Amino acid sequence: MSRGWTLELRRPPSLRLDLRGITPNALEGLDAAAIERLPLGEGNRFVPLAEYLRVTPGEAGVLRLVGEFTRVDRIGWAMDGGRLIVEGPAGHHVGTLMRAGELTVRGNVGHQPGCEMSGGTLVIDGNAGDFVASTLPGSMDGMRGGTLLVHGQVGARCGDRMRRGSLVVFGNAGEFLGSRLVAGTIALGGAAGPHAGHGMRRGSIVFAGDEPVLGPTFVAAVVEPLVFWQLLSRDLAQHGGPFASLPQRRIARHLGDVGAGGKGELILPA
Amino acid sequence: MTAPDTAETLAPPCVRNGVEIDDSFAEAFPMKATRILITAHNLTWARHAGVTATGFATSVIACGCEAAIERELSPDETPDGRPGVAILIFSMSGKELAKQIERRVGQCVLTCPTTAVYAGISEGEAVALGKNLRFFGDGWQISKVIAGVRYWRVPVMDGEFVAQENTAVTKAVGGGNLLLLCRDTDSALAVAEAAVDAMKQLPNVIMPFPGGVVRSGSKVGSKYPALMASTNDAFCPALYGLVRRSELNPETRCVMEIVIDGLTDTDVGAAMRAGMQAGIAIGREGGLLRISAGNYGGKLGPYHFHLRKLLAEESA
Repeated sequence: MSRGWTLELRRPPSLRLDLRGITPNALEGLDAAAIERLPLGEGNRFVPLAEYLRVTPGEAGVLRLVGEFTRVDRIGWAMDGGRLIVEGPAGHHVGTLMRAGELTVRGNVGHQPGCEMSGGTLVIDGNAGDFVASTLPGSMDGMRGGTLLVHGQVGARCGDRMRRGSLVVFGNAGEFLGSRLVAGTIALGGAAGPHAGHGMRRGSIVFAGDEPVLGPTFVAAVVEPLVFWQLLSRDLAQHGGPFASLPQRRIARHLGDVGAGGKGELILPA
Repeated sequence: MTAPDTAETLAPPCVRNGVEIDDSFAEAFPMKATRILITAHNLTWARHAGVTATGFATSVIACGCEAAIERELSPDETPDGRPGVAILIFSMSGKELAKQIERRVGQCVLTCPTTAVYAGISEGEAVALGKNLRFFGDGWQISKVIAGVRYWRVPVMDGEFVAQENTAVTKAVGGGNLLLLCRDTDSALAVAEAAVDAMKQLPNVIMPFPGGVVRSGSKVGSKYPALMASTNDAFCPALYGLVRRSELNPETRCVMEIVIDGLTDTDVGAAMRAGMQAGIAIGREGGLLRISAGNYGGKLGPYHFHLRKLLAEESA
C-alpha cells in the first residue's frame, strides 16, 4: 500500500485556491519536500503548495485534507484512484472529472461537484450547491459513471445533462432536478423543487421521499416494471435511510419528458 | 473375436454389490460453456423457458450445442427475487456458443411470458446475452446500468423483457459418460434414472440427453463414408453373436449411456462417481450387471475418467 499524506490548511486563503493536480495517485512516490513544491493555484498565479498546506505523513493509502476548504476549489479534480478524504467543507467542483477511487467530504461543498465524473465514488456528508453531477461549460454530457452520494441537500439543476451512473441524494433538491437528463439514475430521499425532470430524454428519477409536483409533459405509465424495479431498488436499498425500504414498495411511474422523446421515467414509490 | 489386451488380462476384477466395474475410462473433451439464469413470474413459466431454450440440444454433432437445466432457483437466489432456473449451454467453440445463446434466448426466453435473463457466470470472456436482442425493441429499448452491470429493458406485450447485456464464457469439459449394462429394459431404466437423479444433485453439470439418458451410444465412423458416427455395435444386445466383437454377454439385454458435461473435470468426475454409486446401490439384484465407459483409446480427448479410480477416490 502506498504512503499516505495529510495536508492541513495553515490559514484561510485570501483568494480562491485551485487544488487540481493534487490527487492520491499524483502524490504517489513523492516525498514531503516534493509535495510541498507542487504548484497550487491562487487567484491568477501559482504558489508552492507549502505556502497554504502543511504536509505530514498520514494513514497509508489515504490523502487527507484537514481544515476549512470552503475557498478551495477542484479538490479531487480528475482523480483516477486511491482515497481522498476532506475533513471539513470544500469549495466548488469537488470530484469533477474523477474517473476512479473514493473521495469523501465530511462537510458541505460548493457548486458543481462531480461534474462529468465517469467512475469511482464521491460521498458528500453535507449539502451541495447547484449543478451537482452536471457538465463543464460547453460539454453536452454531465456525470458519465460512478456513484455520487449527497447526504444533505442539493441546489438547483442537480443532475443536469447527466448521462450515466448513480446519483443518490438523501435530502431535498432544488428546482429542475434532473433537468435535460440524458440517462442514468437519480434517487432523491427528500422533497424535490418544481420542474423535476424538465426536458429529460431517458434515465430514471426515483422519489423515495415526498411526491413531486409533476409537469404536464409526463404521462402516467400503465405498466409496473417489477423486474427492473427489483434490480434497481435492491441496489439503491444498500444506501439505507429513505432508500432501505424501496424493494418492498410498489411504484407508480410517469414517463417523459414527452417534449424530449419520452423515454425517461419518474418513479414514485407508494 | 479379438483377444483382450494385456491390461485387461492383468487387472483384477472389481465388483461392487455384484456389479462389475470395468477397468476402463471415459474420454472427455474441452468445450466452452456458459450458465444463464432465467427468472419468471412463477416457476412454471421459468421452467417453460428453460425447457424450450435447452430443447434440441442433446449433442453438438447436429444441435450446435449441448444444454439442459442445471437446477431450479428459489427467489432468494436470483437477481430479481423471482423463482427461476439455471441452464448450462456447452459448445465446441466460443463462436458457436455465442450463436446458440443468441438464437435460443431470442426465440425461447424473450418469447416466453414474464421471463428475464441474467448471466450465471461472471468470470470469462463476455458474449452477448441481451446485447443484440435489444434491437427487438425497435428503438424503445432502454439501457440501465445497475451496480456496474448493464441491463436492457425491451418493451413487450406483457410489460418488459429484462436481459443482462452479456454473459461470460468459460472453459468446460464435455463427454464424460457411463455405460450401464443391465439385465433388461425395466432394470436399465431404473438404474439410469437413479444415476441421473444422483448426478442432478451436483452443481455445474448437465446430462443433455432425453431424461439424461442416451440409448443410441455411438462409435466413431461408419460403413457409410458420409457418416462420422454410427451405432455402438459392440454394446448393442441385438447384435450379440453377430458382430465380430461384442462387449456383452447373453445375460446383458439392455444398455443405457449417460453423457455428462461439466464446467470442470472435477465436476464431471464427481457426477460420474455419484452415478456409479447410485447404480451400485441398486446392484446386481436390481439388474445392473456391469458399468463401463466410452473412449477412443485415449487418443482424442485430454480428460480421462477412470471408473475404478473414481470409486477408489470415493472410498479414500
